[in-house]
Amino acid sequence: MLRRIADHLFWMARYLERAEWRARLADVNYHLLVENPTGEPQSWAPLLAITGDGELFAEYHDAPNEAQVLDFFTFELRNPSSILSCINAARENARSLRHRLSSELWLEINTLYLDSQQWSHAVFEQGVYGFFSELRNRFHRVGGISHATLPRDIEFDFMTVGTMLERAENVSRLLDSKYHYLLPRLEDVGGTVDRMQWAAVLRSASALEAYRRVYGNQIAVEPVVEFLLFDAGFPRSARFCIDELEAALERIGRAAGGSREISDAASPMGRLAAALRAGKAGAVIGSGLHEFLMEVQDLCAGIGSIIFDKYLRFE
Amino acid sequence: MQSAAMVQSAGELGNVAPFWALYRAAHRTNLEAFDEMFDPQGRPRPGYSRVLADFLIAHADRFDEIRTRADRMFLNEGVTFNVYGDSAGAERIFPFDPIPRLIDAQTWSQLEAGLIQRVRALNAFLADVYGEGTILKEGIVPNDLIKTSPQFRRAAAGIIPPHGAYITVAGIDLVRAADGRFHVLEDNVRTPSGVSYVIKNRLVMTRLVPELIRATGARSVEHYPADLLACLCELAPSGKSRPTVALLTPGAYNSAFFEHVFLSQQMGVELVEGRDLVCVDHKLYMKTVDGLRQVDVLYRRIDDDFLDPVVFRPDSMLGVPGLTSVLRAGGAAIANAIGTGVADDKAVYAYTPAMIRYYLGEEPIIPIVETCLLRDPDARRMVLRELDRYVIKPTGASGGYGVVIGPSASDRELAQVRERIERAPADYIAQPVVQISVHPTIAGRGADGGAQIAPRHIDFRPFVLLGARPRVLPGGLTRVALREGSLIVNSSQGGGSKDTWVLSS
Repeated sequence: MLRRIADHLFWMARYLERAEWRARLADVNYHLLVENPTGEPQSWAPLLAITGDGELFAEYHDAPNEAQVLDFFTFELRNPSSILSCINAARENARSLRHRLSSELWLEINTLYLDSQQWSHAVFEQGVYGFFSELRNRFHRVGGISHATLPRDIEFDFMTVGTMLERAENVSRLLDSKYHYLLPRLEDVGGTVDRMQWAAVLRSASALEAYRRVYGNQIAVEPVVEFLLFDAGFPRSARFCIDELEAALERIGRAAGGSREISDAASPMGRLAAALRAGKAGAVIGSGLHEFLMEVQDLCAGIGSIIFDKYLRFE
Repeated sequence: MQSAAMVQSAGELGNVAPFWALYRAAHRTNLEAFDEMFDPQGRPRPGYSRVLADFLIAHADRFDEIRTRADRMFLNEGVTFNVYGDSAGAERIFPFDPIPRLIDAQTWSQLEAGLIQRVRALNAFLADVYGEGTILKEGIVPNDLIKTSPQFRRAAAGIIPPHGAYITVAGIDLVRAADGRFHVLEDNVRTPSGVSYVIKNRLVMTRLVPELIRATGARSVEHYPADLLACLCELAPSGKSRPTVALLTPGAYNSAFFEHVFLSQQMGVELVEGRDLVCVDHKLYMKTVDGLRQVDVLYRRIDDDFLDPVVFRPDSMLGVPGLTSVLRAGGAAIANAIGTGVADDKAVYAYTPAMIRYYLGEEPIIPIVETCLLRDPDARRMVLRELDRYVIKPTGASGGYGVVIGPSASDRELAQVRERIERAPADYIAQPVVQISVHPTIAGRGADGGAQIAPRHIDFRPFVLLGARPRVLPGGLTRVALREGSLIVNSSQGGGSKDTWVLSS
């Protein structure tokens, strides 16, 4: 397989995952707004905190209102990680490899792209929730078509690598921002708002039902962290993502010349896998969740640059 | 006559007459142009009676819907082209007109023979000008015309392609004049495009009117990619039995990128950009995730200028440094060969009948349009005297860019082109305006809200593959000038396309 094709596959998958994650976030934030029992004014600002778009947003708007945040987050092209920018980037990559995709997958991505070019604030007039839940379904369709129509080969593995790396980073960022930014007052910890926010975090990872099967109705920081970081079976936990990532990288290594050095124990891949397989929420929270999550994000970045050097870079 | 009888026996002639009357009324311009569907008495020409009865008349109320469905299919599937000079990355569909253009079997067999004859002669000409140059020495084609042509590549001299195949793919533009005869309008032997639309148009028509296609007996066009691949494999150095073929594209922003994607997919070959390739030790390789993989044959869809920055434009980011010397060493082959553009130069076109006589000892089967080379002072004087009677074409451009059609040009445009001709006469040719044929086409909405069908000018680009055995794709790209009265059919100039049905009997 061409290095350029591997690169396009990796980035197409990454941008699709990023766009999907953002659609979920917006959806969940909407629930927080609507269901807020305290009566305190809430805003879309947490979206900017979680995604780290706050600074860029401030460059364009000094007194943000909800409509602006929503527009900026959803279809502002000056925001390189708005949902629309991500869809455009994913489609641009897909365009260069459409001869490698199933026609069904190309058609789905292209139709999503064409439809999204029409977006304006008017899309929210029919209901914010409706818009984002429909959008999330579109991404599910892309994922479903990928799984139903693409052969499981090295090309699929490169897509898996992009998806899983992005997803692991997003989970870690989501937990970090909930833990440190969303609830600034210590006395609120454990209160109603806190529980609602953790429930929202779970929902944004489509994890609420799966979580309840394990932990019942009790929603608190430790089990949520345990579930989203260390659960081996849930497809959006960091642990699950890293297992999938490692397996895909091993298959790629075998197909491309039989080397395994990319995941030996000292490599970022090996270290991240070890940390997530051995980790316990209680211990991690005790010694500093933020530091642990930063380490996860650094290792993800390290894995990304090794993949780039080994398989994607043009020389 | 036979077809008219068929309509009559089906009891449908009663419907043809009102249709014809309406259609004729829409015929506001160019009454003398050849109509592809109707003879001057309003009788359908061979093969058309069923299309007329079962499609045009029976489904008149569905045309809007059919065209919308077709457009949607093209757009969603990304069957698009990019327009240069438009906002970056703007993609458009090539407007599609669902009324098919038919070519009867007898006309086709003549055309097929004429096309093969022509491409064989052009190929022999290339072998000659990059080899011995006898046609130039004998003065049959002026030496300076060739050596000063911007398309003549000194670097191509001495690169002898396998089997002497300079031209693997040719697209020959034909028009049908008022007398009904096909004429060659121009040759495209560099990187002709459009064949993907031929295949996609058929696919869309197969979804829209499957019965009609079968009943009419249109020949299949789907074999083209396999034929092309076979021709490319024949070029492999030292007769490798399973050569690696790749298609070289300038990238996703090229106007024909869809076609590159489509053909590589249909042939099952790698689609590469210049940056995917590297030349090492007189061999050509692609950069894959597990190292370098040798490429034997490159079907390039990049102009010579951008192909190899070592030899041609040094600023090209699209090409492969060192490719020319790999070709010279025989480490790889490309199609079409470097320098083929000298054969489709619009000034060289005037000499193509002489080439056919010279190399093949045959009379040209398909005539060309009378052409004045403005480098010749006598011809220039004659043309400048009556500039508004001619079509002026720049010799070095394609895609309809820079063409001025005398009768429809403004005084200002004529003055400008006159000035350009006087400044650089060798850069232009002039041809008398050909009344190119018309075909019933959806032209908008009629008074009753249904689709209005009116005559629009069309041309035709069939594709010729020159492998060990020459093959002509039984079909081709019919382009249609959608604007009333317009003679320019290029997609970049507001043209659309039609499916072309070559009939099997």
